[in-house]
Amino acid sequence: MSFELYITQQIINAVSLGSLYALVAIGLSMIFGILRMTNFAHGDMMMVGGFSTLVLQNLGLGFGWAVVGGIGVGALAGVIVERTAYRPVRGAPEVTLLLTSLAVTYILENLGILIFTSSAQNFPLPDWMDSAFQLYNGQITFTQINLLTVALTGVALTALGWFVTRTDIGLGMRAAAEDMGAAHLVGLDVNRLIVVAFAIASGFAGLAGVLWAAQSGVVEPYMGFTPLLKAFVAAIIGGFGSIAGALLGGYLLGALEVFIVAFFPSEISPYRDAIVFCLLIAFLLFRPNGLLKRTQEVKL
Amino acid sequence: MSRMQSLLAVVAVLAVMGVFSVSAPALMNDYFVRILTVMCINAMLVVSMGLANGFTGVFSLGHMGFVGVGAYLSGVLSLSDAAKAAYLPDLPAWIAGLHLAFFPSTLVAGLVCIVLALLVGAPLMRLSGHFVSVATLGFLIIVNVVLINADVYTRGARTFTGVPLETTLPWAMAWLLLTLVVLARIVYSPKGRAWRAVREDIIAAQAIGIDVLPTRLSAFVIGAFFAGVGGSLYGHYLGSFSPAGFYFAYTFSLISMLVIGGMRSITGAVLGVVIVSLLSELLRNLERGFDIGFVAVPPLYGASQIVLGIILILIMIFRPSGVMGDLELSFGRIAALLHKGRKE
Amino acid sequence: MRLTRRTVLRSAAAAGLAIASGTLRSRPAAAQDTIKIGAPFNVTGALSSVDAPALNGAKVKVKEINDAGGVLGKKLELVIYDTKTDPTVIASTASQLVNQDKVPVALGFTDSDAALALGPIFQTAGVPFVTPGATSPKLPDQVGSVMFLACFGDNVQAAAGAEFVLGKLAGKTVYLLRDNSTEYTTLLAKYFKEAYSHGGGTIVLEDDYKAGDKSFTAQITKLKALPTKPNVLYVSAQPDDIGLVVKQMRQAGLTQPIVGGDGYDTPLLLSVGGKAANNVYFSTHAYMAEDSTPAIVAFFHAYKGAYNTPPENAFAALGYDTVGLIADAITRAGSVDPAKIRDALAATQGYKGITGSISYPPGSRVPQKTVSIIGVKNDKLFLAAEVTPAWIAKP
Repeated sequence: MSFELYITQQIINAVSLGSLYALVAIGLSMIFGILRMTNFAHGDMMMVGGFSTLVLQNLGLGFGWAVVGGIGVGALAGVIVERTAYRPVRGAPEVTLLLTSLAVTYILENLGILIFTSSAQNFPLPDWMDSAFQLYNGQITFTQINLLTVALTGVALTALGWFVTRTDIGLGMRAAAEDMGAAHLVGLDVNRLIVVAFAIASGFAGLAGVLWAAQSGVVEPYMGFTPLLKAFVAAIIGGFGSIAGALLGGYLLGALEVFIVAFFPSEISPYRDAIVFCLLIAFLLFRPNGLLKRTQEVKL
Repeated sequence: MSRMQSLLAVVAVLAVMGVFSVSAPALMNDYFVRILTVMCINAMLVVSMGLANGFTGVFSLGHMGFVGVGAYLSGVLSLSDAAKAAYLPDLPAWIAGLHLAFFPSTLVAGLVCIVLALLVGAPLMRLSGHFVSVATLGFLIIVNVVLINADVYTRGARTFTGVPLETTLPWAMAWLLLTLVVLARIVYSPKGRAWRAVREDIIAAQAIGIDVLPTRLSAFVIGAFFAGVGGSLYGHYLGSFSPAGFYFAYTFSLISMLVIGGMRSITGAVLGVVIVSLLSELLRNLERGFDIGFVAVPPLYGASQIVLGIILILIMIFRPSGVMGDLELSFGRIAALLHKGRKE
Repeated sequence: MRLTRRTVLRSAAAAGLAIASGTLRSRPAAAQDTIKIGAPFNVTGALSSVDAPALNGAKVKVKEINDAGGVLGKKLELVIYDTKTDPTVIASTASQLVNQDKVPVALGFTDSDAALALGPIFQTAGVPFVTPGATSPKLPDQVGSVMFLACFGDNVQAAAGAEFVLGKLAGKTVYLLRDNSTEYTTLLAKYFKEAYSHGGGTIVLEDDYKAGDKSFTAQITKLKALPTKPNVLYVSAQPDDIGLVVKQMRQAGLTQPIVGGDGYDTPLLLSVGGKAANNVYFSTHAYMAEDSTPAIVAFFHAYKGAYNTPPENAFAALGYDTVGLIADAITRAGSVDPAKIRDALAATQGYKGITGSISYPPGSRVPQKTVSIIGVKNDKLFLAAEVTPAWIAKP
């Protein structure tokens, strides 16, 4: 296989993976931007989205509507979690927020196990999605799912972009992310902004969950675990708190992962995750604001 | 209390615990001895985690990384030659030739963790807040990936087995007591005050001349030593383990023990271990289904973890400082309580 | 009520005492006219999709035996524990079974790592343990004289797979893909390699992945870049991953037969793999369908009646057979003394289970059993072959 074709295939893989990471990282950054909290439970919104879509399909809904429903349930779950677990501890030291989110993730994952059992469940896809496009005599493959991933991610990002630049609530969110106190002072309803932020962030995660399930063919309670960690890396690389940064970080990370496996010798590629996290640590030490953000963070 | 009375009290407690731990297998059945042994090991791990997380305010999520390193390192060192040949056939000659008994291998595990903590902590302890948490999380993941992939030394993700079952209740209790004594002395010394100063306000601490990085680093390193020792004890208790056992599930378990008991108190850490361990055991047995009167509750596997998570959230909301807050149980306080009881 | 420290401490102390007394209070004595069989299984956790059916199959057999009068005049009682795929819980449970419930014999687990965590405790106590589905042939030697397998070892099924590939599929070249994160898949791949090479085949490329990986594009791309296309793809995988591997391989245009071990024996193969699962073959313990042997069909209906679903995989049948094997050993031993049961187990010759006939060669606690090779055609399972391999790699 020629080198150009090999690279093209890997680029397709990278874009597909990067879209998923970007979707999750954006939500993480949004929540951090407004609340200064690292929401470990964010990954489980993927699981909620994935399982909801599965349940809705089993109840008879068509795939398209089931996906919409899944995203909706994901958004709703985020709002519920915020209201019951995070709002009572708002304003508490960072450690408390972190621990609360750890507890939430523990509960959600075990609820998933209790309801759905811990084994993977099949995630059915409509037949038209099951085919793949082969180019150049099969040396390049991309599937309908890849296309759908990129398409839906594009739609979501465009919608988000419109939202944060053209609507009052969106602008309010950005204001609150810049300076919560000032936003309060000018009369913005901060509680509402936070709820909206969680809804959007969790909805995005739910969408990511559906796409992830479509790519892997299964849903299982721990499915959000690894993507969450990767999303952290992506968000931090791009600039924690910045939506554009999360987007950039997501695609960069997707590309990095795919290329490590594709081009490094097979003794090194299993250490892919270790390399990714070393990169994270390096960023935290030398460029904690990531690539895009400019505000000062506390560092010795 | 006078020094003499204090000393006598300490000796008395040690003697009682010593006799108890040695005679326990004869007094109660093995199941309870096991629960106590695991509690002692967990207490060591939680208390040592509390040094960084509670006393210096650096919430490290990477503690289990040291525990895992300790377990594997001491495990490899204490494998018999036959076991080494059977399970780690490709081990390089210089390690294959080393063989240490339980105590020395435990010490080596602790010492190696000190070095590792210095290497890791020097860069990471500059960070604060959630950044250091995420960074130490990265450390945990890196350790996990290395353990899984360095399969020549660790059998990779498969079960590492054949480790001699050396951890008995006397050993676990002895190490725990040592840990408690050493840490209590340090935490309530000028060094410990420096730790707490750094936790409360970095700038104020610097203003009075405390150098923040070495202060945080010392807590991190000391904690890592006892984590490595605890890991060795745990490894020699289970006899077989795998990298997945030193990852998130165990991390979460330790964190819940620390937080429920009280992050800022050594007694709190121990108390948290006791509460969570007993609660988990009870819930685990209840999970199998039980009868209240004539209502049969069916088996609900997985419910105990949910209950634990809910309890943690409630604590975060209503009492984030944990059961003990920052109080300690000391002989003085016990004596005072007894006095009060007598007077009333 | 104000939440003062005193209140919290007092309630914590009270709760602590209540909990301690609750845990320490001895369980109500079981009726004396039952024979207790310990049953630790990973009902929750990563391995539940194989452990849970095994436990259900065991329960079906216990009911059957009890309805027919029990063993030695007494009914059988399964003492079930969920070990949560957690080694500490497994060790704790083992101790409970041996010291508190005082079971004379136990069965459990479909995974070798779990059996290893529990083994030493049973070995020290001298209580025999039979695993329905942990297929590592090294287990009895690693643990000791009390550990028995009711299933064939991985070296046997890998050898059967190799013979099938060389014979029925005429596959002279093979691509070997392996999940390097579990004992089972690593050993299976190793034994396959040995048996296949011994039989004269050539392995053109080997590659690894980790359980939980969602994308195999890197490995598939390397495979497709090979100058000589292999005849057969052997993939050593676990139940949760195989559907996806198969799907992605077919999507990439790979049409060769895909062959593997009993990790494929899961409903997920067909439900996740869909059409991609056609031309897939795997070795397992029994062919669980309505056109199988009369004994299996009877079990099929009994299981369906009890659980409203057909048996999910062969591990259900293995659970069933293990209970039968233990009951048979107890009958032959004529007592519930653990040592006598252990010796009776070791002397088992020709116990007719629904997964095959179980006999333990002298000194070995791994039975010699036939391997069923199941294939997928037209989206359905069928029995492709029954193989008793001629050459088997050493454990």
